[in-house]
Amino acid sequence: MTADHWGFVLSAYGIAAIVLGAYWRHLCRRDRELTERRSHAAPKAAHPRTNPVSPVQP
Amino acid sequence: MHRALGWLAAVGLAGGLVMAFGVAPREITQGNVQRIMYLHVPTVLVAYLAFAVVLVASIAYLWHRSPAADRLAHASAEVGVLFTGLTIVAGAIWGKPTWGTWWTWDARLTSVAILFVMYLGYLLLRGMIEDRERAARYSAVLGIVAALDIPLVHFSVYWWRTLHQPPSLLKPGPATMSPEILAALLVNIVAFALLYVYFVVKRATILRREEDLPA
Repeated sequence: MTADHWGFVLSAYGIAAIVLGAYWRHLCRRDRELTERRSHAAPKAAHPRTNPVSPVQP
Repeated sequence: MHRALGWLAAVGLAGGLVMAFGVAPREITQGNVQRIMYLHVPTVLVAYLAFAVVLVASIAYLWHRSPAADRLAHASAEVGVLFTGLTIVAGAIWGKPTWGTWWTWDARLTSVAILFVMYLGYLLLRGMIEDRERAARYSAVLGIVAALDIPLVHFSVYWWRTLHQPPSLLKPGPATMSPEILAALLVNIVAFALLYVYFVVKRATILRREEDLPA
């Protein structure tokens, strides 16, 4: 009867779960950041500040 | 669409775990440590797929100069590196109790390590060049050259005398494993392939949105 080495099996699956979960979270966080940035940028784009007229005439 | 793909991948992975630990029998020679195969084999096959996509997208970019093809190559390379890293780690953990060593400079292991380093270099190259068009062009060339290592990895077990066993699936002739083991392996391959598609679609979308940001 061969030894089962459950510790090795759980380590392999555990590391995979941590790495894949971390990458998944990283993608979701980046996606949220971009959505927030866009929602902050949108009101500015909707009401652009008018440039003041230069006092110096060409 | 993204969300549905993510849920599909999560359900697939849960199903894969059930198949690997609940349905597949204990392997007679290696014992339960052989269950690492349901992680190791799908991750390497998905890595092959990821780098094949990099190859096709890189050719498409050089041909049409399409930014979408460049984004696909970038996203697929990143996910491919992730899966290759997992393949190496899972293989090392499997190797210790079965071969008595975490690592050996065997042809299969060495060629996979070279594959990993080449695509890591691909990602570094992209990050180092500021000009977007130049980064895309250089990395497309590297993406094509690096793909030459994929057949080398796969056939290394035939071309050289190695410690690593020959392929279990991608080989001529019928499968030599029991139907339960084969079913568990196929479910896990599909689950990891779904996860790959989800990651690539999400990463490519993020890349497009980053490009749209004002400088």
